[in-house]
Amino acid sequence: MIGTEQPIIELKKVSKRYARDILALDEVDLKISKGEFVFLTGPSGAGKSTLLKLLYLAERPTSGSINIEGLDLSGLSRSQIPQLRRKIGVIFQDFKLLHNRSVFENVALSLEVLGFKREQLTKRVKQVIEGVGLGDKLYRKVIQLSGGEQQRVAIARAVVNRPPIILADEPTGNLDRKRTREVVALMDELNARGATIVFATHDETLFRNTHRRVILLENGKIKED
Amino acid sequence: MPFGIILKRAFRDIRQNLVTHLMTTLVVVLTCLIFVFFNLFSINLQRIADHFGKELAIIVYLKKDVSQEKVPVLYQKIVSIKGIKEVKFVSSEDAFKRLERYFSNEREILAGVDPTFLPPAFEIQIDKALYNPNRVKEIAKEISKWNEVDKVQYGKEWVDRLENFSKMVRTALIFCAALLLVTAAFVVSNTIKLTVYARQDEIEIMRLVGATNGFIMGPYLVASLLQGLLGSGAAVVLAFLAYSYLIKAFGNSSFWESLHLQFLPAENIISIVVVSGLFCTLGTAMALRRFLKL
Ligand SMILES: Nc1ncnc2c1ncn2[C@@H]1O[C@H](COP(=O)(O)OP(=O)(O)OP(=O)(O)O)[C@@H](O)[C@H]1O
Ligand SMILES: [Mg+2]
Repeated sequence: MIGTEQPIIELKKVSKRYARDILALDEVDLKISKGEFVFLTGPSGAGKSTLLKLLYLAERPTSGSINIEGLDLSGLSRSQIPQLRRKIGVIFQDFKLLHNRSVFENVALSLEVLGFKREQLTKRVKQVIEGVGLGDKLYRKVIQLSGGEQQRVAIARAVVNRPPIILADEPTGNLDRKRTREVVALMDELNARGATIVFATHDETLFRNTHRRVILLENGKIKED
Repeated sequence: MPFGIILKRAFRDIRQNLVTHLMTTLVVVLTCLIFVFFNLFSINLQRIADHFGKELAIIVYLKKDVSQEKVPVLYQKIVSIKGIKEVKFVSSEDAFKRLERYFSNEREILAGVDPTFLPPAFEIQIDKALYNPNRVKEIAKEISKWNEVDKVQYGKEWVDRLENFSKMVRTALIFCAALLLVTAAFVVSNTIKLTVYARQDEIEIMRLVGATNGFIMGPYLVASLLQGLLGSGAAVVLAFLAYSYLIKAFGNSSFWESLHLQFLPAENIISIVVVSGLFCTLGTAMALRRFLKL
C-alpha cells in the first residue's frame, strides 16, 4: 500500500530558519501515508514542534515544499487555511487552552467553529470529555485543573471534531504512567478508526516495544526513520 | 455561518465588557445628538424661510379713504405688471381678523380697538421663477407712486438673508455630519480593538482550531452594529423628548405656532440610524482587518 498511494503528508527539502543563527529544520524530506501512526522523537530543541507547526501553518517554511492531502501549502491562500486546520487536530505542547473558560467551553470551541448544532455539540463534547476521564469536571474552569488534567482537555479538544490527521506535541508530558497509557490507547483507537497520527515525544518507553514507525530528529535533520 | 453562535458570543462579549460598551454607546449617543439638533435646526429654519417667503412679498397699503370701487381697478393694474404671480386684497376687517387670530390667547390687547384701524392692502406674490431683488424694488417703487397708495413694503430682503443663512447651516450640517460619523466610527472601532486586544489569546486559539475570519470578526461586528443603532436611536428619542418639552413649554404662543415647527421627518430618522449603524460596523471591520492582519 505504501508507495503506491499518495502520501497524506509530504515534506520536500523543508528548512525552517527562525533567525540567522537558528536553523530549526534543515532540508527535511518526509512522507507519511494515510492511516499511519508515526512517532517523532529527538532531544529537546531538535525541531519536533517546529515540524508540526509547519504542518498546521503556524509557521511557514523558509524553503522547501509541504503537501497535505495533495494540497501544496505554499499555494494556500489565507482564506483556505481554516479549511486545512479543520482537518488537523493539534495537541499543543503548551496546551493553548482558555484558562477562564470551562472544560466544556474549551472543547466545544472546535465544534462551534464548524457550526455544529447545540444538541449534537453538547452530546459529542460530553462524550469526548468523559473519554479522557474528566466527566466529573465538565464545568470547572481550566485554571482550576492540574497540569495533567489540562493536557487531557487539550487532547479532547483536538479529537472532538474527528479530524483525519492528529498532530500530538508531547501529549503525555505531564501525565503519570497510567494516564500516559490511556492517552496512547486513545491515539491507537483513533488510528484504528482511520486517523493519521504524528506523535512527538522524547519518551522512548512509548515506542520501544512497538512496531510503530519512529522518526528521530536531531539538530533539525532526520537521523533515523 | 453559524449565526446563533456568533450572536451568543457577541452578547457574552458585551456582558463581560458592559461598562466599556455602555461608554462607547454614550459617545455615539452624544455624537448623533449633536447631529440631530443641527438637522432639526436646519430643517425648521428652511421651513420658516419657505413660510415667510410665501407670505411676505410686496404689501401695498392703501390710503384709508380709497373707495371700494377703486379696488378692482387697482387690482387689474397690479395684475398686469410683469412678474407678478398672485394678488390678494386684504380689507381692514380681514386684517383685523388676522390680528385677532394672531393674538388669540391675549385677545385683551385688542379690546376697544377700532376694527378698521388697519389700512386695506394688496398682498402681491412675486413669481419665483422671475424673482430678482432689483425687479421687486422697481415694482415697489412704481406702485408707491400711485395716488391711492399710502405705503409699499417688501420684506423679501430678510427672507433672502434667512434663506442664505439656512443654506449655510445646511452646508455646515453636511461637514459636521461627516466629521461626527467618522468620530463615532473611530470611537466604536477603538473600543472594539480594546476588546479584541483583551481576547488575543482566544482569537489565536480560534484560528488554530480552524475558525474563519468571518466567525472571529462576527461577534465584534454585531456588537458595533448594535452600538451604532442603539446610540443613534437613543439620540433621536432624546432629541424628540427635548423638542416635545420645549414645544409644550413655549409652543402655545401664537408666535411659535406661526413658525410651524416640526420634528425630523421619518426618512431623516431612518437614515441617521442606518448610517450610524453602518459606519460603526464598517469602522470596526476596517480596524479589525488591520489589527488581525486578515
Ligand atoms: N519562535 C521561535 N523563534 C526563534 N527560535 C525558535 C522559535 N521556536 C523554536 N525555536 C528554536 O528552534 C529550535 C527547534 O525548536 P523546537 O521547539 O522545534 O524543538 P523541539 O524539538 O520541539 O524541542 P522540545 O522537545 O523541547 O519541545 C530550537 O533551537 C528553538 O530554540
Ligand atoms: Mg517541542
